[in-house]
Amino acid sequence: MEVGQMQGRLVDYTKSLFMEGFLDGQFLQLQQLQDESNPDFVVEVVSLFFDDSEKLLNDLTMALDQKNVDFKKVDAHVHQLKGSSSSIGAQRVKNACIAFRNFCEEQNIEACLGCLQQVKQEYYLVKNKLETLFRLERQIVAAGGSIPLMEMGF
Amino acid sequence: MHGNIWVVQNPQGSAQSMALVIRFQVRPSITITMTESGESSDQPRSNSLFRGLQVLLADDDDVNRAVTRKLLEKLGCTVSAVSSGFECLSAIGPASSPFQIVILELQMPELDGFEVAIRIRKYRSRSWPLIVAMTASGDEDVWKKCSQIGMNGVIRKPVLLQEIAIELRKVLVQANKVV
Repeated sequence: MEVGQMQGRLVDYTKSLFMEGFLDGQFLQLQQLQDESNPDFVVEVVSLFFDDSEKLLNDLTMALDQKNVDFKKVDAHVHQLKGSSSSIGAQRVKNACIAFRNFCEEQNIEACLGCLQQVKQEYYLVKNKLETLFRLERQIVAAGGSIPLMEMGF
Repeated sequence: MHGNIWVVQNPQGSAQSMALVIRFQVRPSITITMTESGESSDQPRSNSLFRGLQVLLADDDDVNRAVTRKLLEKLGCTVSAVSSGFECLSAIGPASSPFQIVILELQMPELDGFEVAIRIRKYRSRSWPLIVAMTASGDEDVWKKCSQIGMNGVIRKPVLLQEIAIELRKVLVQANKVV
């Protein structure tokens, strides 16, 4: 596949992620912050997000598994996940966290477990999508091409 | 392109709708700055207000800290970042501090942003360094509390480049007026 085709594929793929709500404007801001002084900024921040999120999801699983659930602790973890997903533009994860926090407030353990499943699902989905995105970018660079700038004509 | 991006966020109906209002009140000079800068590392002349500005950033979340730091550096600030309220107080120190602005996440474990600000205002100085809160909360009571404690500004999370620029500019201009 030649570079032009690869670039077209990347643009289409990226657009689909926005259209389907996986990513929002915050992700675009991340891409705009990347520059020559920090050429891997997006990948670095997203990797941080992956590491932190996985830890948070583990902590959440353990916290909800306790005999006496400490909802304050659960809420604190969800709040953190909501914050970081929001900063990188992982919109669906963020929205799942918002719903989760409501049930924490109600101290509804069944609903919280359901929300945890939902958050995990959204997290793995967006992780997968972003890893695909980065792979497409690497392929283009390896073929000697440059990453096309996103123009959003919404 | 920048115009489209900001517009994208409007229909989402997300918590960023507050930022929307501020956007429409952008002063022409700032709008021009943002559209000219694009994604190049060239900072427009009008960002000279921020160039060399010594900022202390405190946020316990790794992702948020990395993003906010980059935003500030994009504006031209020199940033030191810490991950807790205690580290923040240590960095400011008992005597004169090199920082002109402290940007504080309000919700941090152990020692939160409110406590840090209270201590700075009590033990260091009532007006220096300038303190700007960062919070995901849109609650007016939170903002009122910030003001009562002696903070100089508030930035809503998730943070946008334009919003930081506007709020910091406002805070700096107000500080100059007082002096």
